[in-house]
Amino acid sequence: MRMPLGLAPENRVVRVVEVRGGRGLIRRLSELGFLKGEWVRVLKSGPSGPALVEVKGSRIALGRGVLMRIIVECVPP
Amino acid sequence: MKEIEVALIGNPNVGKSLIFNNLTGGRAHVGNWPGKTVEKKEGRCIHKGVTMRIIDLPGVYSLTAASIDELIARSYIVEERPDVVVDIVDASNLERNLYLTLQLLELEANLVIALNKSDIAEGLGYEIDVKGLSELLGVPVVPTIATVKVGMEELKDAIVEASKRGVKAKVRYREDIEELIERIGDILKRDENLTKKYPARWLAIKIIEGDGEVMRLIEERGLIEELREVIG
Repeated sequence: MRMPLGLAPENRVVRVVEVRGGRGLIRRLSELGFLKGEWVRVLKSGPSGPALVEVKGSRIALGRGVLMRIIVECVPP
Repeated sequence: MKEIEVALIGNPNVGKSLIFNNLTGGRAHVGNWPGKTVEKKEGRCIHKGVTMRIIDLPGVYSLTAASIDELIARSYIVEERPDVVVDIVDASNLERNLYLTLQLLELEANLVIALNKSDIAEGLGYEIDVKGLSELLGVPVVPTIATVKVGMEELKDAIVEASKRGVKAKVRYREDIEELIERIGDILKRDENLTKKYPARWLAIKIIEGDGEVMRLIEERGLIEELREVIG
């Protein structure tokens, strides 16, 4: 099932399928590790505000706007 | 006595501050980077008759100048040209960390790599071919475990040695890109003051990438029109 990273449940490993943004955002996120095909995990999230995401062994906080632009695939457990 | 300037750089959480403290004995002078509220740490270390002035740069994932820390780190390396740049790499997370390494190589920094957290990498079952990595990148690689001060003497040796040797590593790209880099470089070299301050090759790569900061600089120098003919 596909959804924005901002709606992904905590502590579930999900895979990035798309970053919906311009060149600048795609580049910035790829530098932080959010590449297509990469496995990531939301550590702490809520209905609004930033969320803490684990990617490539680092914990990165992302704002809500950016979280909604990263589309992930949730593999059923 | 000879004094050399050494900058420490690396991703966040690689043990940069720990290595800084190990090298300087924790006697750091803490201030701020001028005009920015990012901490600047500076210390000294004497090794085999060479005084090293050690500067701890902010922890960054890249040098794109997207955030204030990245801009500080990048400006420092480009404009101050420290004698040696120690890139502290998390051995347990090489893939992520080597991205910054590549950007430092593009900047033509005189690199020494500290392969930190070697014990954690080993614990994960990683066997890193240190010699192979060093040959591939063209820079010295020193395995370290900063928490227990392993590899610190070897790191100091490598820094002193690198300061005598100068830069030799270079990243090569595909032929058509290399051609473009050369054509842009030729135009840039007409502005001597510019290429005295910044490596022409690095500027050319950043122009191809469309880097905001570099494009602004090129515009200021009035080179943009000539470059348009090459990059379209």
